[in-house]
Amino acid sequence: MDTDLAEISAFVQTIPPFDQLPPVLLGKVVHAISICYLQQDEPLPPANCAVNPLFIIRKGALNYRDSLDELLGKYGEGDLCTVFCQTPLSSEIAVHTEEDTLLYSIDYQELELLVADYPAVLNFFIHSAEQRLNNKMSQINEDAIIASSLLNTSISQFYHSPVETIDQHCTIQDAAIKMTERKFSCLVIVNNHAQGDTSSPQPIGIVTDKDLRQRCIAKGLDFKQPVSTIMTKNMLTIKHNSSAYDALMLMTAKRIHHLPVMKKNRLHAMVTITDLMNNESQNAVNLTHIIRKAKNIDELVETSLLLPKLQIRMAKLGTTADHVGKSISAITMAFTIRLIELAEQKLGQAPVPYAWLAAGSQARQEQFAHSDQDNALIIADNMKPEDDQWFEQLARFVCDGLAKCGFIYCPGDIMATNPKWRQPQKKWHEYFSQWVETPSPKALLNSSVFFDLTTVHGDITLLEQVRERLLNKTQGNTLFLAHLSKNALMHRPPLGFFRDFVLVKNGENKKVLDLKHNGIAPIVDLARIYALSEGVSATNTIERLQQVAGSPSLTKASAANLIDAYEFLGLLRMEHQAKKLQINEQPDNYLVPKHISKLEREHLKDAFKVIKTLQDSRQSAY
Amino acid sequence: MLSHHPLFKWLIGYEIERKRNLLLAPSGPLKDFLSVPFPDVHSVFHEANILAVDFETTGLDAVQDKLLSVGFVEMSQQQIKLNTCYHQIINTKQKLKANNVVIHQITDQQQQKGQPLEVVVEALLKALAGKVMLVHYARIEREFLQQACLELYGVAPSFPIIDTLAIAKRRLDKKDVAYDPSELRLGALRKRYHLPQYFAHNALNDAIATAELLLAQTCHFSNKTRLKEFLL
Repeated sequence: MDTDLAEISAFVQTIPPFDQLPPVLLGKVVHAISICYLQQDEPLPPANCAVNPLFIIRKGALNYRDSLDELLGKYGEGDLCTVFCQTPLSSEIAVHTEEDTLLYSIDYQELELLVADYPAVLNFFIHSAEQRLNNKMSQINEDAIIASSLLNTSISQFYHSPVETIDQHCTIQDAAIKMTERKFSCLVIVNNHAQGDTSSPQPIGIVTDKDLRQRCIAKGLDFKQPVSTIMTKNMLTIKHNSSAYDALMLMTAKRIHHLPVMKKNRLHAMVTITDLMNNESQNAVNLTHIIRKAKNIDELVETSLLLPKLQIRMAKLGTTADHVGKSISAITMAFTIRLIELAEQKLGQAPVPYAWLAAGSQARQEQFAHSDQDNALIIADNMKPEDDQWFEQLARFVCDGLAKCGFIYCPGDIMATNPKWRQPQKKWHEYFSQWVETPSPKALLNSSVFFDLTTVHGDITLLEQVRERLLNKTQGNTLFLAHLSKNALMHRPPLGFFRDFVLVKNGENKKVLDLKHNGIAPIVDLARIYALSEGVSATNTIERLQQVAGSPSLTKASAANLIDAYEFLGLLRMEHQAKKLQINEQPDNYLVPKHISKLEREHLKDAFKVIKTLQDSRQSAY
Repeated sequence: MLSHHPLFKWLIGYEIERKRNLLLAPSGPLKDFLSVPFPDVHSVFHEANILAVDFETTGLDAVQDKLLSVGFVEMSQQQIKLNTCYHQIINTKQKLKANNVVIHQITDQQQQKGQPLEVVVEALLKALAGKVMLVHYARIEREFLQQACLELYGVAPSFPIIDTLAIAKRRLDKKDVAYDPSELRLGALRKRYHLPQYFAHNALNDAIATAELLLAQTCHFSNKTRLKEFLL
C-alpha cells in the first residue's frame, strides 16, 4: 500500500525528538497520528481522544495556566504538549487553545511501543526539565573534548622548536641532568658524527622520564652507560604540516606522549600530548606572558587587541563558558597588574600597604572580552590623609590604562578613581556593616557588586579580614538575606518562547532574549545569596554552587541543576558573542528567538524552569 | 440523472435507494457495500463515521476520462485517523496526456506500476461501507465512482455525501455578498480557516486536507446538530 504522508512526515521530522528517528520509524509514528481541530478557548484534551495523548501543534496556539490561573507558557506551531502523556494527569496545569488550533495527537502508550528502541526519544518526554538539561550538558562537555576542534588546527600552533637533543654517546646521567636543567620530560638522541654534518644531527631515538625509570633505575642499570642503551629506537615522527588532530590520534593510538616533528627529513620540533590538551589555556597563558613583558601602555593596548580573537578561538574550540570566563578574567588581571607595576615605576613606592580589588564579573572569574571595569582600592589603616594623592594617581593611571585596553569605564562609577571606593580598611568594614545591618535598595545594589570581590594586586590580608568579618555578619542574618533575596528575585527568567518571541510572565511578547538579565544574572544572584548565607568565601558562581551544595540553603541535586543551567546559558552567550566578535560587532547578550534552534529553545526553557523553581523556593523561604 | 435530483432524494432517501440497488447488485464488493446500512441521517453529526475521499482523474468527464488515483482517510468522533489512510495509483492501461500530467503529477511509469481499477474500487467500497463520503466538490468523486461501479458491476449506486465546497458556498450565499468562485477552492478555504498550506497535491493529501477543512468548518456547530444538515 502506497501511503504517501510525506507532507505530514516532513513537518513532524523537524520537531525534536522526532528528528532522531529513522525514516521508516518516523513513518510509523506519523501513521499513529490522529488529527483534531479545536476552537479558540477550548480545554485540552478534547473528548474522544486517547487516554494519554501527546499533542503536536500543527497550527494555532495553546496556553498553560496553573491552579491560580497564572500564565505558565504559550505554545505555537511545532511545539509539543506533553502535559497529558503521563498518568496520573497533572491537575496543576490547565491547557486551553489560544486560537483555533489544529492538533496532531498520538496515543503515548502506542508511541512508547513504537520507539522502544530509541530511549533518547522517550527520555525527551519522560525526563524532567532538569534531567534533559543535564543530558544536554554532559553531551556538550563530551563534545568539548578537543579532538574535533583540533582537526582544523596545524600542529605548528602547538609544537616547541628547537628540540632538546643529546648525543648518543652521552651517559644516561648526562641525559637526566640535561632534562632536569631544561625542565624537559624527553630528549631526542642524535648521532652527531654520522656524516660530520653538525648542523643537522640525525635523530636516532628518544628517551623520556619513563625510560629512565623503567629501563634504567628499575633494572639497576649503570647510569654511566650511554643513553642510547635505554632509548626507544624506531621512534614515531610526524610531518610538520600535519593537523593537531592527526598528532593527537597518533599519540593516543600508540600510547605515547611525545612526538618529534620532522620538516624536510630533519628534526624540527617536538609536540607533547599536554600541549594539545591544554591548547586553549596555553594561549591564554601565552597572552599573560606577553602582557607581563609589556614595557608601556602602547604595548599593552596592542596586546589587548588579541583578546576578542582569543575569545572567538576558545568558543570555536568548544571550550566551556566557565573556562573562557576564567581565562579572560586571568588576562584582565594580568593587564591590571602590569598597569599597577608601570604606575609604581612612575610614582615610586606606595606610602602604605594596599590592595587593588576587582569587583563583579572579573572577581567572579566570569569576565568576557569588552566587559566594563569594576575596581576599588583598600588601603592600610595607617595611611595619612596626604597619602591619598599617591593612590589617586595610581587609580587614574590604571583605570585610564584599562580603558585604553578596551575595558570601558564603569558606568556606575565603581572604580578606584572614585574616592568613595578608595578607602582605608576601617572604612570598608564600616561600608559592609552598613549594608548588612541597615539594608536599603541602594545598599543592596552596592553589596551585590562588592560581595564579589577579589584581590588583584597587593596585600591580600586587607580584603580577607574584611571578608571574614562580613561573612560572620551575613551568615544566618535572615533580615539581610531576605532583603538581598528580594532584590535578586527582581530578575525573572521568561516563561519560554511563543513563535518567534520571548514570552514573559504577564503574557507579553519580547523580541529578544536578554541572556544576561533573564538567565545568567539570576543564577549569579542566587549563588551569591547561598554563599553569604552559608559563609562561603568563594566568588566564582560555579564554585559557590559547588561549595554550598548539600547545605541547608541548597540541595546537591539543585546545585547540579543550577550549574547545568548556568553552563548552558554561558555557552549560548559565548557562541553568540563569538559570532558578533567575528563580524566586528560589539558583543552583547541579546539573542533573537528566530536564530535559536528548536532544540536550543527546549533546553533554554528547561534552564528557565530550573531557575524559576529555585527562585520560587528562595522566595517562599522568607 | 433523476435519482440525484434533490427532490427525488428528499422523497425517497438514501436508505430506500440503497435497498433498491442492493437487489440489483451482483454478489461481490458492491453488494457487500450496499448491504451495510448508511448512517442515520438523524444521528448526531459530530459522532458520524466519515470517509474523506479524493480522486485524481485524467479529466472532468466520468464517461470518457479515467480515474488515476484514489486517496482516503477515516474520520470518526471528529478525529482524522491517519492509520486508516489509503493511497493508490490506478493502472488505466492507456498513455497519459502530457497537459494532464502537469496537474496530477502522476507519470506513465508510476501508472503502469499501479493497481487495476477493480482492486482500488473494492478497497474504497470496503472502507466506505456504513460511512458518509466526504469530498470537496462532490460531482467528480460521485460521478467517477458511479461510472466505475457501472463498468465493474453494472449498477451505479448513490450514497450520502458531505461536500465541503457546498458547505462553504451555503455560508457565502447566506451572506448575500458577491464572491469570487475561486474563494471556494480547497486551498483558498483552508487559508481562510488558517489551516496549514499543503504543497504536494496527491489524492491522499487532498483527502486529509478536505477532512481538516470539514473539522474547521463544523467545530462551532452544537453537539445536537444532525447529520442531515450537512448532507448534499
